[in-house]
Amino acid sequence: MVDSHDRSPVRSARSGDIAVIYASDYLNKLSGERIERECRAHLGAGCRALVVDFKNTGLVNSIGVSIMLGVIDAAERAHAPLVFSNVNSQAAQLFEILGLTLHASLADDEHAALRMLSEVNVAQPRRVPVGKHT
Amino acid sequence: MSTDNLFKAAPAKRILGRIAPENFIGRSEALSEIAALAPSTSPRRGLLVHAAPAAGASELLRQAYDKLFRQRGGASPIYFAFTRHEQTIAAAARRFLHTFLSQLVAHRRGDHSFVNAPPALRDLIDLADPSDYEWVERLVLTYERAREGSDELALVRLCFSAPVLAAARGARTVVMLDEIQNIEKLRGEVELGNEIAQVSMHGDVPFVLCGLRRGLLDELSGGNAPHRFDGFGTIHLEGLKEADARTLVERLAFTERVAINDETRDLVVQLFGGSPFYIASFMYAAHRDQLSLTSFLECQKIYVDEILGGRINRRFNSILEEITPSHTTRRALIRLLHEAATNAGGKSPVEAWRRRLELEPDELYPLMFALHVRELASFNATFMEIGTESLWRDYLRASYRLQVTVEPRALVVADTLVETLKRAPQTMARHYRRAAALNLRELLARFDAQRVAASLLHYDRFSRIYRGVETEEIEIGLDAETDLIRLPQVVHAASCASFHPPMLLVGDEERCAVAHGFDAMPYTDANEIVWLTAEIDSKLEAGRAVTEVWCDRLTQVGHSCGFKRFKLWLVAPEGFSAEASDLLSERDAFSSSRKQLELLTARLSPEAAEVGATGADAPDEFEMVIPMGSDTELIAAHTVEQIARRLDFPAEAINQIKTALIEACINAAEHSLSPDRKIYQRFRLESDKLVVTVSSRGLIVPSPTNAGTNGSDAREENNGRRGWGLKLIRTLMDEVEFERVDDGTRLRMTKYLRR
Repeated sequence: MVDSHDRSPVRSARSGDIAVIYASDYLNKLSGERIERECRAHLGAGCRALVVDFKNTGLVNSIGVSIMLGVIDAAERAHAPLVFSNVNSQAAQLFEILGLTLHASLADDEHAALRMLSEVNVAQPRRVPVGKHT
Repeated sequence: MSTDNLFKAAPAKRILGRIAPENFIGRSEALSEIAALAPSTSPRRGLLVHAAPAAGASELLRQAYDKLFRQRGGASPIYFAFTRHEQTIAAAARRFLHTFLSQLVAHRRGDHSFVNAPPALRDLIDLADPSDYEWVERLVLTYERAREGSDELALVRLCFSAPVLAAARGARTVVMLDEIQNIEKLRGEVELGNEIAQVSMHGDVPFVLCGLRRGLLDELSGGNAPHRFDGFGTIHLEGLKEADARTLVERLAFTERVAINDETRDLVVQLFGGSPFYIASFMYAAHRDQLSLTSFLECQKIYVDEILGGRINRRFNSILEEITPSHTTRRALIRLLHEAATNAGGKSPVEAWRRRLELEPDELYPLMFALHVRELASFNATFMEIGTESLWRDYLRASYRLQVTVEPRALVVADTLVETLKRAPQTMARHYRRAAALNLRELLARFDAQRVAASLLHYDRFSRIYRGVETEEIEIGLDAETDLIRLPQVVHAASCASFHPPMLLVGDEERCAVAHGFDAMPYTDANEIVWLTAEIDSKLEAGRAVTEVWCDRLTQVGHSCGFKRFKLWLVAPEGFSAEASDLLSERDAFSSSRKQLELLTARLSPEAAEVGATGADAPDEFEMVIPMGSDTELIAAHTVEQIARRLDFPAEAINQIKTALIEACINAAEHSLSPDRKIYQRFRLESDKLVVTVSSRGLIVPSPTNAGTNGSDAREENNGRRGWGLKLIRTLMDEVEFERVDDGTRLRMTKYLRR
């Protein structure tokens, strides 16, 4: 896996056609927008699938979640499957309440997310089945 | 009920009620008791409501009326008040019958328009339910014949027995008769109170008989043979409890859009002694004049306006006008009342009243009795004692200066405002001290000849044995003690000031008590004893000097009251110094610290101690102010997490609370034009819940109805992405109240602990 976009405040990595974007400790407006920008940059650079990893995210607010809907839109337009990984219970509850889980999948961790995406063969774009991957 | 729910629920129709049911606070038990009379299976024949003046008794009956009216198909409610303006018994009887038939027809038709605008009696015949037509017509015709005759008793009996007749024909009613004390001034030959008592006791109809507590039974007594009112329940209606009064002030501030804060809310409660009438009058005045109540000065300005010219002024004026229609006599009465109020003890002899008012006994005694019934003074055979209520005294002082000494109004207003403003902090200080007092009277009353460890009443001994010891170990030690003291059986406990008024000058009434009892059986002179006890203010162990002062004071009370044998008991929060303890031993006085008192209370009344120990009545409260922006909501979230952990909320609930608080802070920051850019937060822990209040100043308007929509649709609307805060909060918390106040908003969120 190759780290990329070193100058961005959001850390991300690339594994083949899949980009993994690491959210910071608090998903709010600013950090949400940074993730969104990073996702769009990866999609523009030819990525065929995205993982947004929330391993370091302790708290989430509704503005941050609403921006994740923008990420979902961007991914759908690019026919790129999207998986959220390492989502803690607080964030998962918000995602559920605000309907994000209807449009993106959740994976236990980054590896599970990558496995999910490789199973659906990102070269042939199709939706990843929605739901918690176990 | 949360305000949130109020927005959603259809407002209950008001018919006679003058305030919205949700603002009718602290009377739910009394309301239920009245409503419980409606079923024919009710075990009670009726209720006697003994009301303190301005306690809201009429509103209670009106709210009960509305509640019963809404219960379609049940007994029909009837509300009738004897007014001050009615002249004769016959007129009152005629009006009762008309009211009765109008309200009965209205309820049975389900049309409340007849209640406030009754049709003519003849028209009521046509409007009556077909099943009632025959008896209503016969009753009206009989009444018209009786009205033309001269038999007052027959007319009164016909009118007031109408509910009994209706019940016999299948139309059950609950008859509520209000302001029964006003019967006294009706002219006529018939003893109306006695007639009402007879019909209420012997008919198969539940009656609610309501009046001022000092006058109700006198009116209904039936002369020398008092009625027993078998099967009647009793409601004693007094001022609201403090918690209810606070809620009432908050509700009215909310509905009347009056800005208020906790300090002024508590002051309002203290100013009016929990009287819903005065509190409501005060809050309506603030609304009418578009004034806020965020400082003591603003409160006192409205208070003074009310005393000198508002509803409160009109209430006192109308009572005095009713008692003394003559302007000259009324002026003399105000002078007399004011002068008596300024006397030591507020007393003046009846003979002085007779001379000063120049009235014959048949005029004087009704006047004094009327003042007595309205609790503006107490009539004690040979002297009158003026009521001590601050509101009444302030009114008297201002009226005296305006009407008797004819001082400029501006001067009276200014002086009254300055005086009441100076008094406000003292009023609150007294309230705080009273709330913190140990309630010695109640504790003494529970003694009941029980035996307790002697160390609980000897601070020096307790300190020697238990200083620095954990409570559980102290309990074990006390259980093991063999030196026990048998407490007296207390038969009467009251404040020291009740026995010796000068004690009021040296301390609060609640902090000094006198208990009469017996320290052994049988009840003989030899076993009779009086305990004189006082709570001393002292941050550290009380020293010898202050202890000696209090020993001397209590001893003086004992001697001046002629107590043959008495025992002193002093209580100081941190106990007594060694020198003070020596003195107490010399005086053979008992002594305790607050800790000893808590342990003693627990032993005398374990259930009360248990409540105290679990903190059920002692909410823990925290406050925090954060600036808006810069992710400061995270600080709030971390704080609330620590607080929620104290109550052992599960992790998931803590996450929900944190998220809700973050959303509340974001809402406050995003939607307000806040002048100070601050978010005020309060966290209140109670035994089973955490209440979080988030407020901010400034203009706001996130409509609760625009709070977002559910998941899948969210992406399509309004950029689909914002305005989810309140929706989320409602989902995550158990109760949510969103209030807009003049100076901003307040969001109150409650999470219950589910064990």
